[in-house]
Amino acid sequence: MEKKEKEKQKPAPFIMGENVDLVALNPDHIEFYNRWNNDPRVRRYSRNPLPRTIEDQKKWLFREQEGPKEHIAFEVWHKKDKRPIGIGGLGRINWLYRNANIWLSIGEPEYWNQNIGTEASKMIIEYGFNELNLHKIYAGVFSPNKGSLRCAEKDGFIPELIEKDACYVDGEYVDHHRFRLLKEEWLKLKKQG
Amino acid sequence: MTIKETPIFIKGDIISLAPLNMDHVEIYARWHNDPRVRHYARHEFPIALEEVKKWFENPPEHGVREFIVFVIYHKEDKLPIGDIGLNHINWVNRNANIFAEIGEPEYWGKGIVGEASKLMIDYAFTELNLHKVHASVYNPNERSLRAAEKLGFEKEGILREHLYVDGKYVDNHRFSILRKEWLELKRKGESD
Repeated sequence: MEKKEKEKQKPAPFIMGENVDLVALNPDHIEFYNRWNNDPRVRRYSRNPLPRTIEDQKKWLFREQEGPKEHIAFEVWHKKDKRPIGIGGLGRINWLYRNANIWLSIGEPEYWNQNIGTEASKMIIEYGFNELNLHKIYAGVFSPNKGSLRCAEKDGFIPELIEKDACYVDGEYVDHHRFRLLKEEWLKLKKQG
Repeated sequence: MTIKETPIFIKGDIISLAPLNMDHVEIYARWHNDPRVRHYARHEFPIALEEVKKWFENPPEHGVREFIVFVIYHKEDKLPIGDIGLNHINWVNRNANIFAEIGEPEYWGKGIVGEASKLMIDYAFTELNLHKVHASVYNPNERSLRAAEKLGFEKEGILREHLYVDGKYVDNHRFSILRKEWLELKRKGESD
């Protein structure tokens, strides 16, 4: 048992960062993923208004994808604390038009406001452009989600449009902000440092 | 056998490209097994009509595919005469292999593969957003070697004794064309 616990603490990172690594999803961590998805503090921002069972979650995260993947997800692993703290990736990948939707959720609220979302999202963006050869990455954020709005801005995302009253949060309609980042825009930002 | 109106996907002059059609399954099976055709297309195993019918089962629901095939449809004669397609489509590296065969030998040597390939290559670059199209032709297949060169493909290399044809090993020649090269050829062709 002890050995097994240790094994769990040694993930094989797919993309290495400074404070966090991006790691392939781990079926042994499904309970973490499920807890985050149901946590009222977390789901308020990631908009999961319906309860999710562990079985639902497993089915969704580990579903078989035929042909080129349309969804790629990573676990965000905190290097110093040696624990999974969130989940993120690219969804709705369109291989013809070469665009995808980026999403990220830091499931452990004590890691919020520490720039971790920005670090992890930059790693996902870099992966999307430099490895997957995408042309455009887009993101959607609901207006009460101030953390993600800040993160999108820090990543260099450019506002494309605001959808009025697109969502219902805590008893009121809120707007949906849509952002985009083209590969050339990303390269320019990187060049500027 | 009467052939119903074939829906056309890409229009050409002499031929058009059409989706596979269940009404043509017997014709496809005949092409695949015809010794004259399969000699060049390298179909080494017999295929039963039932197996051809399976191509139509479980169509992909959405998203992209790694394999796209069209029927080459002769406009004047109103007949399917061959097939052409892309396989091994790699959506990250954005390249694919092009293949073609004219299943009715009386249409050989009429430049039909050339016309169909042009439609297919243009589709690959301007609709599928690919970066490179490659093709393989084995050495004694003079007609296809000439066709590849005429289309503007560059020779990439030779895979030595890569195929076994008529009792001996033969070389496979690998060709490719990049999107920018194709667009440049098209631009020149239009200004001529």
